Amino acid sequence: MKNWAGLEARLAGLDRRRFLLLAGAAALLPGAVLSPGTIPASKRRMLQVNGYPTDAETPLDALTTYLTENDLFFVRHHWNPTYPNVRRWSLTVDGEVERPLQLTLGELKAMPRASATCVLQCAGNGRSLYKPILPGVQWKYGAVGNARWTGVRVRDLLNRAGVKASARHVHTFGSDKPPQKTPPFHRSVEIEKLLEDGIVAFEMNGEPLASLHGAPARLVVPGWAGDHWMKWLERLSAQPEPQKGFYMETAYKYPKQPGEPGIAFKPDEMRVVTELFVKSNITEAPPRAKAGEAVTLRGFAFSGAPDIAKVELTDDGGQTWSPAALDPQHDPYAWRLWSFRYTPRAAGRVTLAARATDSRGGEQPKQAVWNQSGYLHNGWHSAEIEVGA
Amino acid sequence: MRGGRIGIPLALLLAFLVFLPGGSDAASKKPKKRAKAKETPVNFDKTLPVLGTKLAELPPGEGKAVADQACLNCHSADMVRQQRLTEKQWTAEVTKMTGWGAEVPDSKRDALLAYLVKNFGPDNDRFEPVATRPVGR
Repeated sequence: MKNWAGLEARLAGLDRRRFLLLAGAAALLPGAVLSPGTIPASKRRMLQVNGYPTDAETPLDALTTYLTENDLFFVRHHWNPTYPNVRRWSLTVDGEVERPLQLTLGELKAMPRASATCVLQCAGNGRSLYKPILPGVQWKYGAVGNARWTGVRVRDLLNRAGVKASARHVHTFGSDKPPQKTPPFHRSVEIEKLLEDGIVAFEMNGEPLASLHGAPARLVVPGWAGDHWMKWLERLSAQPEPQKGFYMETAYKYPKQPGEPGIAFKPDEMRVVTELFVKSNITEAPPRAKAGEAVTLRGFAFSGAPDIAKVELTDDGGQTWSPAALDPQHDPYAWRLWSFRYTPRAAGRVTLAARATDSRGGEQPKQAVWNQSGYLHNGWHSAEIEVGA
Repeated sequence: MRGGRIGIPLALLLAFLVFLPGGSDAASKKPKKRAKAKETPVNFDKTLPVLGTKLAELPPGEGKAVADQACLNCHSADMVRQQRLTEKQWTAEVTKMTGWGAEVPDSKRDALLAYLVKNFGPDNDRFEPVATRPVGR
């Protein structure tokens, strides 16, 4: 990341004492200073799932920092996009408003800024883990990351446009155009959610948003799945009704009630995917350990609820659970890093599973609810350790 | 030739400004750029391919030509190779994709389906994601 390289270069000019003083001051300002990435070079890679359109996930062992570095952040494209020309780009705010807006990037940036550190997860993250198997991008664990997003509150944009009481949904449009007869990726979000904490972001972890992540601006919907986070955002249209079309009425639907795995739900049994589900993943676990000697496991946990209350681990298939230590660093809808000291009792192969509980009491299930599109997988994640005598 | 007369003094003036010790912006910027390039460490494995440059191919067989033509306009072969679908699921996918514009002549549809079912059925283990450099590197 350019920022970190620049930061390192600047720090190289400081003596150690001044550096420590600065680092100490930074520690007193949680959220105000980005912690530089600490992913070693050997782990700085991506797992390309599709050559084109670009789909790439982050290996779990590179998801060990509070902020996911921009160049290690997963990429999900539906199609080969035509990136907007930033100089000609503008954001339109129209629909049920008194004064439609058309803002250049400069005009957008001149508005009061807001930031949110939160998780972005592709709705299909974990699809490959469902049985029976489902079509689609076969994501495993890494279509997720945590970043600090900076831009302008949707609330401020809608207020500036004079949004009317008749507006209940905000239709969102990006610049990417589908190939051939593929339906357009048009979406909508309930206006209450966007008024509460939606952001039109043009920065990611303090850097200008990259094209692959939706430059010059994308929608940020904290706590909600990535399908709502429209990239290459060009238009917000306040409307009384939700958006129509394939990507609202057929895709990105999740069952209202669990069913039988392998039996497709009918349209009226489904609802739109919105909030993320409570989930934790193990990012570090030693493959081998010795009986009686402690080892450390690490991971992250997040939810569609604003915070994680606890993460627990089991080594007996869920009969008993022990709490992990939660990292103090957190923001609403961001992930919590956790660590767990584990002392194996006896030699043999042991399976440790992690489960998270969120601030609303939502508990990560042993098995995710099978659904025909493979969305929002959140079953327990486990790691195997070979314990020697 | 007239331009040449003006050009020589201009060139001399530029040369003077460029080589003036501690002088113009041009003179002070150049070494800084070089120094910055040296300081930026390559913190990833340079032998890894750039994201999006290493593409999978569809395996040989009857039906490959029609699959290449029908599928690869919109996505790389990776998307096909990673699927592990039953005949019923592949039939639904082909119907969806032809509806979205994939070119599958009626006379080739059965051959395409047979090819997809044979190569990318539930026991397909052909696919491994490609480890690449970090995004944009």
